[in-house]
Amino acid sequence: MTNKLIGQNYTTPDLVAKVTGRAKYAEDFRVDGMLFCKLLLSPMPHARVRRIDASKALKMPGVKGILTADELPPPADVVTDLGQTIKANTRGEKALTSEPAYQGEPVLAVAAVDELTAAEAIERIEIDWEPLPFEVDPVKSLLPGGANARLEGNIWGKPKPPSPGQPVSPPAIEDLKWTDAEAAEYAQGRLPMGKTPDEWSYGNLDAGFKDAALVLDETFVTPNTSHQTLEPRTAMAYWQNGKLYMHCSTQSVVQTVGSVSRWLHLDPKDVVLISEYTGGGFGSKATGTITSVIPALLSKKLSAPVMMRIDRETEHYIGGARPAVHGRLKVGFAKDGRITALDMFVVNENGPYEPVGDTGMTGRMVSLLFQPPAMRWRGVSVLTNTPPRRAQSQPGGMQGITVMEPILAKAARKLGVDQVAIHRVNAPEGKAKFGPANARGDRAYATSAFVKEALDRGAEQFRWHERKAQGGKRQGPKVRGYGVATSAFVAGSTGYDGLFVIKPDGRMYIQSGIGNLGTESMSDCQRVAAEMIGMPWEKVELTWGHTGKNLPWSCVSGGSQTTHAHTRAAHAAATYAIGKLREIAAKAHGGKPEQYTVANERVSGPGGSLTLAQAAQKAIEYGGSFDGHELPDDINAFTKASAAALAGQGLMGVARDNYKHDGSTHSFVAGFAEVEVDVETGQYHIVDYLAVADVGTVIHPHALGGQVLGRSMLGIGHAIGQHWVYDQRYGVALARRFHHNKPPTILDAPRTMAWDALNLPDPETPVGARGIGEPPVAAGCCAVLNALADALGDDVFRRAPVMAGTLLAALDAGHPVQEPLTAHI
Amino acid sequence: MAVIRDVIAPFELFQPASTDDAIRLLDKYGADALVLAGGLDSMDWLKDRLRRPKAVVDLGQIQELHGIKDADGGLEIGAMTPLTEVVKHAAVREKFSLLMEAAELVASPQIRNQGTLGGNVSQDTRCWYYRGGWTCYRAGGNICYADTPTAINREHAIFDADRCVAVNPSDTAPALVALDAKMVLRGPKGERIVNAEDYWIGPGIDITRMTILQPGEILRAIRIPATMAGAQFYFEKVRDRQVWDFPLVNVAAAIKTDGDKIGAARLAVNAVAATPRRLKQVETAIIGRPRNEETAKMAGDLAVQGAQTLRHNGYKVPLVRNLVRRAVRGVPSGATT
Amino acid sequence: MTEISPAHVSRRNFIKGVVAAGAVASSSAYLFRSTTLHGQPSAAGAVERLLTLNVNGQNRRVDVMPQDTLAWTLRYKLGLTGTKLGCDRAECGACTVLIDDVPHYSCSVLAHRTRGKKITTIEGLADPATGKLSAVQQGVVDEQGFQCAFCMPGFVMAATGYLKTNPNPTRQELAHGVSGNLCRCQDYDKILTALMRGAELMRG
Repeated sequence: MTNKLIGQNYTTPDLVAKVTGRAKYAEDFRVDGMLFCKLLLSPMPHARVRRIDASKALKMPGVKGILTADELPPPADVVTDLGQTIKANTRGEKALTSEPAYQGEPVLAVAAVDELTAAEAIERIEIDWEPLPFEVDPVKSLLPGGANARLEGNIWGKPKPPSPGQPVSPPAIEDLKWTDAEAAEYAQGRLPMGKTPDEWSYGNLDAGFKDAALVLDETFVTPNTSHQTLEPRTAMAYWQNGKLYMHCSTQSVVQTVGSVSRWLHLDPKDVVLISEYTGGGFGSKATGTITSVIPALLSKKLSAPVMMRIDRETEHYIGGARPAVHGRLKVGFAKDGRITALDMFVVNENGPYEPVGDTGMTGRMVSLLFQPPAMRWRGVSVLTNTPPRRAQSQPGGMQGITVMEPILAKAARKLGVDQVAIHRVNAPEGKAKFGPANARGDRAYATSAFVKEALDRGAEQFRWHERKAQGGKRQGPKVRGYGVATSAFVAGSTGYDGLFVIKPDGRMYIQSGIGNLGTESMSDCQRVAAEMIGMPWEKVELTWGHTGKNLPWSCVSGGSQTTHAHTRAAHAAATYAIGKLREIAAKAHGGKPEQYTVANERVSGPGGSLTLAQAAQKAIEYGGSFDGHELPDDINAFTKASAAALAGQGLMGVARDNYKHDGSTHSFVAGFAEVEVDVETGQYHIVDYLAVADVGTVIHPHALGGQVLGRSMLGIGHAIGQHWVYDQRYGVALARRFHHNKPPTILDAPRTMAWDALNLPDPETPVGARGIGEPPVAAGCCAVLNALADALGDDVFRRAPVMAGTLLAALDAGHPVQEPLTAHI
Repeated sequence: MAVIRDVIAPFELFQPASTDDAIRLLDKYGADALVLAGGLDSMDWLKDRLRRPKAVVDLGQIQELHGIKDADGGLEIGAMTPLTEVVKHAAVREKFSLLMEAAELVASPQIRNQGTLGGNVSQDTRCWYYRGGWTCYRAGGNICYADTPTAINREHAIFDADRCVAVNPSDTAPALVALDAKMVLRGPKGERIVNAEDYWIGPGIDITRMTILQPGEILRAIRIPATMAGAQFYFEKVRDRQVWDFPLVNVAAAIKTDGDKIGAARLAVNAVAATPRRLKQVETAIIGRPRNEETAKMAGDLAVQGAQTLRHNGYKVPLVRNLVRRAVRGVPSGATT
Repeated sequence: MTEISPAHVSRRNFIKGVVAAGAVASSSAYLFRSTTLHGQPSAAGAVERLLTLNVNGQNRRVDVMPQDTLAWTLRYKLGLTGTKLGCDRAECGACTVLIDDVPHYSCSVLAHRTRGKKITTIEGLADPATGKLSAVQQGVVDEQGFQCAFCMPGFVMAATGYLKTNPNPTRQELAHGVSGNLCRCQDYDKILTALMRGAELMRG
């Protein structure tokens, strides 16, 4: 296949709308008679609402109504495709609550003719609060005498395994407290390692440590960082002819229908979701946000469209954040830097609601990326009265790698081994195994890994060996440092559907259910189908972002799965269409379908040829499985409905991705950084950064580069300044504004940045492409951390972010000064 | 009353054409009035609904408050002159580049296009308890939330704490102190002039205000005398991010040498106390000495004497010490970018 | 769906926009409260509500309360939703517009302070007759700049304003010029490349 489209740059179909300001995000829509609603947020970290008196508010001219927590539909049970019922978690996050579990949690909503009236109405509402015990520090909650974030306890217990035929119960909240002996470690600045609900291991840890030339035992803490999508999760809703129309900001148009239906107890057929442009997600808007039910319910109640504009402060509270991880690792190294044993212990800060997946991922990614022959992982996710955590780009993987990488770099220094070499000797390759064995004794494994190649390519391009010699050498007040880091994350799911129609006008109409949040995969993946059909891109019309427009079942644009999942789905749909085109040609001109080829906008063979336009016309004549009147059995119900609506318009390509897939798809990045520190002020800047990506076949270079460097920068933010700050006594957020919690600016970015991709196809997927969104994150963060340690030596910082004050205090004192374990400082 | 921190409460807007009209309005409305200069400080208070003036007096139409003119070899800068204009002005760049360096590090380009020099020096503190609406001393209550064992006070004061530990966050303020600027104030009773360093008041004088402005008074202009024109200047601002962020500490120095000895010196640091801190002791100590490492070290050590740190701001001691050392040493103006 | 279109958007594009929005088309704006909360008349000497603003070369008459910001007025009274609200607190730049060719955070400018000034928004950059993109816009297209693009209008306006003062910047100078704009997708490197290309196109 000579690639006209795949691997080429092009102008995506949304770009001109964006650059002219015509692209509409949720807050840009206007409907006649639209009301505005504002939210009343809890001022307390944990409380019960005793009494609400909204009478004065409701009397105000222009105030149309309020919505309180008791008006929400109860959480719904879920029934999986296999008929298994999963009972609703009534203790999970809700859109409004009368028992707020974090300062800033929405308690009620007021709708009025304009925002000013709504705001004034909120102020006229009288609320009596009963304060409840709270805790914002996860480690303190585990120590003897520590407070619990919820009345029932401070951790999620393990859900009981269901008996056959019985529904799965939600997990219960339990109380976990460590002993005084365990707590003694805390006073020493080391993470105590008490009992944890979760643990796994493989290999012989004791032997591994015994054989080690060097054993390090280190504690490191990563920050809570808000996603801070630039577009807050505003939602606007109205009802028409029994259907709910929801404009919101989401990473998956198609799968948000499911969430919204479930939250509102609606038939999915009665929900139309519009989100053609989403202003960032980074994991926090995966399948919408539960708060979006508020304008839907108010709209129903008040018979008017309702706009819920989420302001930046509210977005800070409900927008989600990556959980902080306190990690302690004991790692044994052989002389050449090869890990002999790894004992990992993490305390994950959960927020008050649903358990996040980050905790488990910390161990899995470390296991994959560093291939310890013997490993134990223990972890606990502790509830705190702080905003809910949501998966953020490389959830858990970033934190796990970040608590490990400084140890690797330190070992390199102590053993006299080069940083690149120590990464290389521990790097995964091929079908690398990771994690513990399952019940059958099998361990999971990657589909492929080319980390060594990425390190080699990067070392060469970065001139690593030449430059690193300058590390640690003072020139006046300045000193430079060089760091390298590797990173990995899941990068591909399977089983989704592709859908398009070639019409008698000779054009290809591709339906894309992928969210448009800036990754461009809603368009990039579909290029595979156009490439295979041989359709020039100018003749492709792409539809996305509106579930009323017949979109196929698609994955969430999260977990870096999209490029993999949807190049496969597009490939499947195109393969199906090519088969049908050949059948049509054979029917029209005789011979066997196998004798015909699709190329140059024709389908040609021994009997003759048809243009694709003519073939499309024939498809309509023949009907059946040619034009969508008969559909494959295995496509998703959502796709079936969309395809059925498009039947009879031309030659339909529709199929489910059923391609084989041996292993668990992961992508990898190697990051290289040079920093320059001013030891008199503690300030530093990143002089240069390079990321080399092992992501399989490159589909769209510009977009790929944007992801590789953009997500590297997201990781770098964790190293240089992003974090939460809470007052521990009052349990209240202090860092609510951008200039407090410090998302990186253009002047904080590395002076020069570069990227490269190996372009080695993954063998387990037909197009060879894997996802990219997440693997760069830890590479960016840890390359910078390792560069700082290279410049300044060990024992200067013990947590991220590393800021001027931290460095200066440590350099001045000769040892780290910043409190090692206190949360939210 | 439930709290919401969004949507400005309605007010009457006045756009007087003359300073006297503005003062009349301020006098009339008293505590119910808010002065609007560039607006970047005021907007935060208004949008948080923490300030609800009946009348907002917009100084933007008053010609005489705007512009930079020569004044006896020095300059007179109208208080409403945007920071960008200050940065670009030829005389500022030629004679008083210290002010240019300070002004161009304020906030971000858009804020500099709109924010004024007068507003920048008069701005309120950014203590996050105070700004968050906590009812502390500065807000008229009787407690300080930042000076407690559990408080997060990383950006707070290491000098002159007097019940309040908030700091003055201005970048141009210490530069003006170093340039021996004079503030021209105008009120109902007429004009008065104060030395820059007397413009700001500490909690001991009035814990609820940052400046000496009386009700009904506005800052009309800032005069920079010729005294320090063309001196050797040093400005440095240390902050977390390289745009928007307020200083952790900044330093401004104007030094004149006599041969190889320091002949005159004016130094100030800010973000270490509620007012910009002129380093008079350091100035006296370095006069007559060479501008070398030994003098610089002595200056740095002297500058931090008497510092009292809080739980999270200990780093400000080495930072002040090092910045003052650099200012006296004369490291090429490395205003960090 | 209301799209209160500025006159220079061609009818074809307007219809495309309405159809793309896919919802009920309606020509009327929605209601705003027309009196102060207590129905009182304004104080003597205070500004009047009705204001004429010069936006993208057109004089537009709007009824604006004194406390309404320019961003709010553009978005909710003039149908110009290209200017975004990212933080409403002068900390992200998504609301950047040009006032007399100088970049400002429109979220922090009272609408009444823009009387008599020339306001330019993202919708005003392309040629009104031909739709041809401005040089900076074309640079973005050439280099596939930006990702989610919520920050894009602000960056494009900031760059457009900056390049008027320094048409031939180095990459680092241009970075300073647009340093008051935040991108959370962190596409800074590609954004700079796109804006530099725009500067190149502008210089011809």
